[in-house]
Amino acid sequence: MAEQAPLAVFAGSPLLYILIPLLPFLGFLINGLLNRRLSGTVAGLIGSATVLGSFLISLTLFLRFLGNPVPYTVHLFEWINVGSLRIPFSYQIDQLSLIMLLLVTGVGFLIHVYSIGYMHHDANVGKFFSFLNLFVFSMLVLVLGSNYVILFIGWEGVGLCSYLLIGFWNKNHNYNNAAKKAFIINRIGDLGFLLGIFLIYFTFDTVQYGEVFQKASQLQVGAGVVTAITLLLFVGAMGKSAQLPLYTWLPDAMAGPTPVSALIHAATMVTAGIYMVLRSNVLYTLAPDTLNVVAWIGALTALFAATIGLAQNDIKKVLAYSTVSQLGYMFLALGVMGYSSSLFHVLTHAFFKALMFLGAGSVIHAMSNEQDIRRMGGLRKALPITFLTFLIGCIAISGIPPFSGFFSKDEILAHAYEHNKVLWGIGLLTAFLTAFYMFRLLFLTFFGEFRGTEEQKHHLHESPASMTLPLIILAVLAAIGGFMNAPLVLGRGYLADFLAPLFTYSRQINPEAFGGEIDHATEYMLIGLSVAAGVLGIVLAYVLYVAKRTRPVEEEAQRGAFEKLVYHKYYVDELYDALFVKPSMFLSRTLHDFVEKRVVDGAVTGVGRGVMGSSQLLRNLQTGKVETYLLLMVLGIVVVLALNFIRL
Amino acid sequence: MLSIILLSVSGLANLFLGFNRSNRLILPFVLLVLAAVLGVTVSGIDTHGALAVWNQSPYFTGMLTFDRYAQVFTGVMVLTTLLLLPFSQKYVRDGNANLAEYYSILLFSLVGGIMMVSYNNLLIFFLGVETLSIAMYVLAGSDKSNLRSNEAALKYFLMGSFTTGILLFGIALLYGATGTFDLAQMGNAVRAIPAADAGLRPMMHIGLLLMLIGVGFKISAAPFHFWTPDVYEGTPTLFTGYMSTVVKTAGVAGFFKLLFVAFGGETIEFWLPTLTAMLVLTLFIGNVGAVAQTNAKRMLAYSSISHAGYLLLALVALQSGRLSVNAIFFYSLAYSVATVAAFAVLKLVHDQRERDDYDGLNGLARTNPLLAFVMTVAMLSLAGIPLTGGFFGKFYLFSAAAQEGHIGLVIFAVVMSAVGIFYYLRPIMAMYMKPAAEGSDAPVFVGGFQSAVLVLLVALTVLLGVWPGVVEGMF
Amino acid sequence: MDQTIPEVIRTIPLQYYVFFATALFAIGVLGVLTRRNAIIIFMCVELMLNAVNILLAAFSAYRADPNGQVFVFFIMAVAAAEVAVGLGIIVMIYRNVQNTDVNLLDRLKW
Repeated sequence: MAEQAPLAVFAGSPLLYILIPLLPFLGFLINGLLNRRLSGTVAGLIGSATVLGSFLISLTLFLRFLGNPVPYTVHLFEWINVGSLRIPFSYQIDQLSLIMLLLVTGVGFLIHVYSIGYMHHDANVGKFFSFLNLFVFSMLVLVLGSNYVILFIGWEGVGLCSYLLIGFWNKNHNYNNAAKKAFIINRIGDLGFLLGIFLIYFTFDTVQYGEVFQKASQLQVGAGVVTAITLLLFVGAMGKSAQLPLYTWLPDAMAGPTPVSALIHAATMVTAGIYMVLRSNVLYTLAPDTLNVVAWIGALTALFAATIGLAQNDIKKVLAYSTVSQLGYMFLALGVMGYSSSLFHVLTHAFFKALMFLGAGSVIHAMSNEQDIRRMGGLRKALPITFLTFLIGCIAISGIPPFSGFFSKDEILAHAYEHNKVLWGIGLLTAFLTAFYMFRLLFLTFFGEFRGTEEQKHHLHESPASMTLPLIILAVLAAIGGFMNAPLVLGRGYLADFLAPLFTYSRQINPEAFGGEIDHATEYMLIGLSVAAGVLGIVLAYVLYVAKRTRPVEEEAQRGAFEKLVYHKYYVDELYDALFVKPSMFLSRTLHDFVEKRVVDGAVTGVGRGVMGSSQLLRNLQTGKVETYLLLMVLGIVVVLALNFIRL
Repeated sequence: MLSIILLSVSGLANLFLGFNRSNRLILPFVLLVLAAVLGVTVSGIDTHGALAVWNQSPYFTGMLTFDRYAQVFTGVMVLTTLLLLPFSQKYVRDGNANLAEYYSILLFSLVGGIMMVSYNNLLIFFLGVETLSIAMYVLAGSDKSNLRSNEAALKYFLMGSFTTGILLFGIALLYGATGTFDLAQMGNAVRAIPAADAGLRPMMHIGLLLMLIGVGFKISAAPFHFWTPDVYEGTPTLFTGYMSTVVKTAGVAGFFKLLFVAFGGETIEFWLPTLTAMLVLTLFIGNVGAVAQTNAKRMLAYSSISHAGYLLLALVALQSGRLSVNAIFFYSLAYSVATVAAFAVLKLVHDQRERDDYDGLNGLARTNPLLAFVMTVAMLSLAGIPLTGGFFGKFYLFSAAAQEGHIGLVIFAVVMSAVGIFYYLRPIMAMYMKPAAEGSDAPVFVGGFQSAVLVLLVALTVLLGVWPGVVEGMF
Repeated sequence: MDQTIPEVIRTIPLQYYVFFATALFAIGVLGVLTRRNAIIIFMCVELMLNAVNILLAAFSAYRADPNGQVFVFFIMAVAAAEVAVGLGIIVMIYRNVQNTDVNLLDRLKW
């Protein structure tokens, strides 16, 4: 029990702790208030410097924590204190929050620096950086808070910033719709979250993490109330972390500036749901049913989004679906109780996905805002640094050793294999698809002939140092980041050891579900299979898009493509195309056009229509005539009296 | 008590200013009086005593008590009025002949509101309700030549006086069953009625239900809400703002006191099922009804119905005592501030563009970024988005209800508040995303003082949303 | 023959007063529901208030408690105030539309 002492209170000066979120907030104030008066570069420097400051403080705390790894809370002030409702404003400093701090501030800083170059043409740079700083502030509050209410405040804060930044270029109406959609879908998820918090308060009479988990650990595994709480919390996570069926806002969110996509919609905010589940791992361990739901939704989301990613032609859309898919992976890991593997994947994913988004941004920048990969091609000569770093990102996400994605993905698959072979199968298939579509993207963008206009070709240029430098740093991290937690056969899992105290309660509650170690033969077999899946995907992409120079069909030709399948005779090498590629592309498009647009979006808009319809019906009651109102009121009185006295 | 005297006397004095046609003096005078009353009230709040003692410093043989409960809610109402009135400058500029009367009536109605939260006897409660209501009938029709205003006044008056009859019949029956109008004594008498009594018990029960209905009407709880959308839409915007804040606060606080003191404890069963049903219906009609509206004032009317529903949660959960009182207080405060901000913007826009549908707000973000921002914050607060006061208002209410075990109601309320997002976003969309119509894209005139008040309103909303503890200790 | 007024009141059983007042109240309510002239509706409301007055007076006499009668005075005073405002509103409307039919005004709806 001693190592699990979340109730230890930090006694020293809290100044350093206050500064972590306060610095970005100051940046927000300065940039927000002096919006017009600051030049773009100055605004960018202020924004970046504040985040760098937070990063350095976090690093100090982290190193200090390594010396004496005992979790503690930092009490700042009494926040709410009404009757039995007592919620202090305090920080939870432990392994989880420190790692998230480093991630948010570290990657956040790189993306701030990148934005200085990326946004320097924009008229509202000050506004952009103030929103970005506000986002970092909210995200830090989210991970630092020591209870669910602070978590929720941060949760909503990041949602608000996401909303503001998606709609940043609000001249375009579509962008606004995307922002609105993101806002509304997230609210649906938040409802679940909020209800979960009320249920926690009702059950445990507190919302403070330490107290909740201590009380919860006394409960039986499978207790109904915990299942309800965890399911409700998971609904919140589904919204924020874009899981089926609440994921549709994320691809649309790509309407925002690219650094926003990298920071908010890939590296940090969307992992808030995973953070929340990890934070509540005691509760989740108590509810095996919920864990099953989490695992299946994660696995299905991973597969579903990967399939849609196969046929997307917008460079950012491909990355967006890939993000949804990778988030699905993380939830799969949570569902099979691979808690530390999930966090591991959060970290590696943050490296390589931020890298790829920034790379995509660099491409878009060079291509004068062209995002369609059918108009690109052959860019590797013009953009060598972007190409190399992007390549590293692609290798990492495809799970090729020794790049970072390999380690984290392999660990997740190993956990899934132990738990349920079907989930593992889905994961493996997804890994293959991921490698395929990522390299499809890479080949179409950087290889072959240039397919854009002459004007674009003329403009092609490598991005400035402020943009390439973050790319290089992220590429290094994406390449070697995996070694922080090498699989057991290859060495030691430093990260897993470091995180282990977080899961002490969970381990006590349900020791067998944590699983033992797999024997080495099986582990080698799993590694071999997952690498094979990745390699196969890459080879297939190479054959199709480099060797055979297949080009994605244009939009107008889409209908014809399927008819051709029926009317034309195929040569032998096209048979393969017809048997595998076309159907899968067809499936991908069907999923996108039908399942996503009709079923998922349809359900969301259907609810909206239903409400609107009832509203119209209700309006008919309001006839405008006093006579009717008086009559209805008297009827109301009669009904009230009748209902109260009918049984007397 | 000082607040009532100050308001009444200065209301009369104000009429004399009107005789002299010294219109320029009236608004500053009224604002000064309100500030003084606010100061007197707030400085009189004794935050060290126990939770509101219902019998502190009684006046008129205990019919009126100015305990902490009364003072805090008086403070909320006076503050709301104080923040709302600066936006009436157009009346002053236009040289409205009845200016002094309107302000005096407002001051008098405020006295009614104060009586409703400081009563200890149903007689005072009734007088408070009527003082407030009759004043509102007049103000609803204050735009005499406008048929919409006429219609609002007539509807409000007819339905209001009809409900007064119902309320009085309820009071009479309660009197018949208990023999007293005093709240505390009535509570004892109610508990003393034997369960088998076939005469007094039903009489008391019916009386109580009729009172529920009467007060439910005043706070626009369904199914007695029908007046709300029509009257809100027709009434001049400034007074609509007053109606949806001060009248609601007074009604709910008075209602709570009635139920808590006289019908708490084991007598809760007489009214709990009915009130719960009303709550569910109110939340549903308020939130769903608002979705299809195209007029901002009418939408706010439905939203006001829905807020009555949320507030009823605290009444349903009144056994949680302090948690519940604090929830009503915080919610009324946050809701009043946000509503005043919304109506202030609508009023300023209406003064210039002469319309109050959503399209009237088009392009406001370009012509008046401040107004658009204030409106946005107000809408977010009403919707209960975190970082605004409205979030903690709802949070307190829901916590109180959850504490008392009304999980089902909380779930329903949370789902309904999600519906709220749909309609609160629409004014924001109009302001930020649609261009202003040709010819009406000139910036809306906002005075310097008004801008300052608007900023203050936003600051208050955000302050309550970030640090709800700032008003802690009232209860 | 030296009966006080309360004693006279008490010569009739209490429930009769209750029934009578309820009937009067119900007539008022029905009148409000069926009439369309604002003035007559308003008269019916007054009828409801008077039913309440009778009820209060009867209870007051039976309980030998003057509070009920004091309440009656206040109701009368308030009713007078309501009459003043109500007639004012009706006159204002009559000036604008030359009619007192309550259904004529139905612009505010939905």
